[in-house]
Amino acid sequence: MERRFNRLTQVLWILFAALVLRLGQLQIVQGARNSYLSDRNRIRRIVLPAPRGRILDRGGTIIADSRPSFACTVVPTELGDSAASLLARLLDMPEAELAQRIKPVAMYASPVKVKRDLSAVEVARIEESNFRLPGVQLHIDPVRSYPAGVEYCHLVGHMAEVGDEDLKRDSSLRRLDFIGRSGVEAQYERLLRGRDGFEYVEVDARGQGIRALPEKRPDPAVPGKDLRLTVDGRLQRLAWDLTADYERAAVVGLDVRTGAVLCLVSRPGYDPNIFMGPIGSPTWDSLVSNPSKPFFNRAITSGYPPGSTMKPVVALAGLHQGAITPESRFQPCAGSFRYGNRTFKCWSTHGSTDLPEALAVSCNVYFYQLGLRIGLDSLTSYARQIGMGKTTGIDIPGERPDNVPTRDWLDSRYGKGRWGAGSLLNFAIGQGEVLATPLQMASIYGAIANDGVACIPHVLSSVDSAGRLTYTVPVRTTRLPMNRADLDAVKTGLNRVVAYGTGTAARLSEITIAGKTGTAQNPPRPDHAWFVGYAPAEAPEVVFAVLVENAGHGGSVSAPIASKLIRAYFFPEEPAEPDTDTTGAAATTFPAETSTTDGQPR
Amino acid sequence: MRRLDVTLVVAALLLAVLGVLTIYSAGGTYYLVRQLVFLPVAAGAAVAAYLMPRRLLHALAEPLYAVVLLALVAVLLAGTGPGSKRWFVLGPLSIQPSELTKLATVIILAKYISLRRVIGLTPRDLVAPVLLAAIPALLVLVEPDLSTSLTFAAALAAMLYWQGMRPLHLLLLFTPAISFAAGFSLYTWIPFFICLAVLTLVRSGLTKSLAALAVSSIFGLLSPVVLSMLKGYQRDRIRAFVAPWFDPHGVGWNAIQSQIAIGSGRLLGKGFLHGTQKRLGFLPNRHTDFAFSSAAEELGFIGCLVLLGLFILLLYRFLRAARYTRDGFGAQLCIGFAAILGYQAFVNIGMLIGLLPITGIPLPFLSYGGSSLLVNALMVGLVLNVAARPE
Repeated sequence: MERRFNRLTQVLWILFAALVLRLGQLQIVQGARNSYLSDRNRIRRIVLPAPRGRILDRGGTIIADSRPSFACTVVPTELGDSAASLLARLLDMPEAELAQRIKPVAMYASPVKVKRDLSAVEVARIEESNFRLPGVQLHIDPVRSYPAGVEYCHLVGHMAEVGDEDLKRDSSLRRLDFIGRSGVEAQYERLLRGRDGFEYVEVDARGQGIRALPEKRPDPAVPGKDLRLTVDGRLQRLAWDLTADYERAAVVGLDVRTGAVLCLVSRPGYDPNIFMGPIGSPTWDSLVSNPSKPFFNRAITSGYPPGSTMKPVVALAGLHQGAITPESRFQPCAGSFRYGNRTFKCWSTHGSTDLPEALAVSCNVYFYQLGLRIGLDSLTSYARQIGMGKTTGIDIPGERPDNVPTRDWLDSRYGKGRWGAGSLLNFAIGQGEVLATPLQMASIYGAIANDGVACIPHVLSSVDSAGRLTYTVPVRTTRLPMNRADLDAVKTGLNRVVAYGTGTAARLSEITIAGKTGTAQNPPRPDHAWFVGYAPAEAPEVVFAVLVENAGHGGSVSAPIASKLIRAYFFPEEPAEPDTDTTGAAATTFPAETSTTDGQPR
Repeated sequence: MRRLDVTLVVAALLLAVLGVLTIYSAGGTYYLVRQLVFLPVAAGAAVAAYLMPRRLLHALAEPLYAVVLLALVAVLLAGTGPGSKRWFVLGPLSIQPSELTKLATVIILAKYISLRRVIGLTPRDLVAPVLLAAIPALLVLVEPDLSTSLTFAAALAAMLYWQGMRPLHLLLLFTPAISFAAGFSLYTWIPFFICLAVLTLVRSGLTKSLAALAVSSIFGLLSPVVLSMLKGYQRDRIRAFVAPWFDPHGVGWNAIQSQIAIGSGRLLGKGFLHGTQKRLGFLPNRHTDFAFSSAAEELGFIGCLVLLGLFILLLYRFLRAARYTRDGFGAQLCIGFAAILGYQAFVNIGMLIGLLPITGIPLPFLSYGGSSLLVNALMVGLVLNVAARPE
């Protein structure tokens, strides 16, 4: 008992002795200095902004970078009312807005950002009036810039100022911070952002920094990671230029062997740099009011009836379920098909065809009858199994699954049983209620080309940290229910489409292309033009899906675009051919500051 | 035969007076008035605790414990408080059940630990005390309040030690918990593991050592698993628990301001009501968790020595009461209360002078807060009770 009492008493003494020693150090040894620091609050906590990671294309060309700029910060406890109104005037900012920026942190003596990306004039004004602005400072503050330009706007996305929601959700964000809002910028926000650091500095009576505070080690910023994309800048640019004549279009190119996105373009686009400037400028207003919705990524968020590009899916469903063989024939095509008391049209008169030939000439009558033989439930179930009505899983936010008109869906849309076989017949030729995104069609054709193995599309290739490769994105695959013999029959049909069928406009002398044209009805407005194709037909490497809204026939509009992209892929040394329209392309070549990274082999 | 421990009474009263002055200086009239209202209530409670038959307290241990735990659960489900769930608002009163839990837990621990003459490292001796302390500790932990949760560990350790448990066994008892906490990072876990291995090998032989290492390995492996199941913000919170120097919100800024304020008091202080740092509003929560910074700035080193001296005197009288009583239950009460007040004083002052990470622990008697003052007074009253009737 005595011993334990003594022990506990000793513990008490030791603990309190530690407190007394430290107090002595603070109050006696460092007393004079602490007294000086406390005299007029002389230390500041300065945020060291983490540089955001860059975004590069597969060749190392910079797509998104940071440029230095000045931000104006204020120490709320030091800024008087008169200085506040002067500052508001110098920054062309309403006083109420300035007060709003300062209010939530008014009790702290650490600087808060009140305006970012100052103009040279504003910087000069502040510097001149420095002596009348206690607590006001200029800090270096990196701002995002997109040197590569407008063709990447939907793929790479843009950044915007944080809102109240973001601040609530993520406590590491501060007001006037920018975060990724769409595309790769949003998807990989955490990787790109890094972590801000801070240091403590001692300041003089005018609030100017003298030196770092020795008592507190600075916490350096952790820079964001550089992201290298799978995208080929040349193809991206070419896809953008080739669709220049059309108001609304989307192009997706994939490597069928890996799912790597080679290009992904949506028209119309916007300049992502405008988000860095003040919202409410004339450019901004015209973008927001544009009925073609430039912020909309048509390649992944817009569903279109696939039209005849749907037919290979119907063919595979029929073969897979044993409803037909490649040699099966139906009632010959005489230009239309009568079902019940309705007549369903074909676009020509094809006579009797087998399956590959029906694909080659895109005979609707063949596919009406095939659809009826398969039945709605089997057809929708197969379409879903191979990826329709589901997101592909691409690493860009906002992808839509779009629609396969199943029995349940039709019941809920029209009322139970209040729809007829017309829905099935339209579905069998890709019209009506069935919808797919260009990315979905590219992905499905990629799986056909790749012998039934679908690779999940991805735009991120690797992650670099301080110039060193830290992570490479793996290829993820799924096996689809497509067997070799069935695929051979469908591929034969797709070869013939380009060789002598509806897609001859895609033909190239050097490379065999296989694909399918499609014309999506869009009453009362003009049809949408589809082409989805892969090459080389014998050993496919790439697949492209091209959709041009309201442009008429896929064979004449979209097929040549895909063909030029395929040519550019296989002959990279040739000058990319931006069609006859060279004026637009010349004005939009990469700026001079574009450069590759450290040039190391990867 | 009653003998009032006058020294203890004086020490407690002086601390309470210092507390009132500090709260006035740091928080202004509003908090002064409220604290002055609490004082007579607390004093009355202390007198009642002093006069109360200990046998009654012994009998009431379980119901008290149950009621307080229910309140704690209620707080978790319905409580309010800035950022975390610690308060319980009942009309004009806001009650912090975690304060009352400290009292009730020590009472029930004292009852069950004093049942045995000596505590060994056996389940029979340890299951009841460990469970009784772990339940409130875990409930407080999810509030979330790690530092208050550790208060229970401090009380349990001191009380088991007082009942004759060997320090090595005490360490082994706590290894699973330490291993779990250290396991959030390899940098903390590996040194811990090596220390444990060396210590147990030297002191208790191979078999026991291997058993201890195996158990702590399991708990150490468990924590990354638990961590991976948590959501991002929960993980950040844990990270802030385990590594408070990870500093996204500038807690370090508060620590620096606190140290400058304390240091600027120098030898003699700036004088009552003459502190500058707190007047300018650099110190957050300056009438609660940061009260000592304000006091130290105004009172200086000499004043701090007096303040710490009063705490040592108070705690020494607690230990002394335990030393001289023949009632095991009473002795355990004194030890448990001493551990709780000592832990709080050390952790609070330690964090304000930069020895420990910043957490939310109040300084007994000096921090503003009715629940805290009431509980502290009850503890003093009960120790006076034990000291006056040692049989």
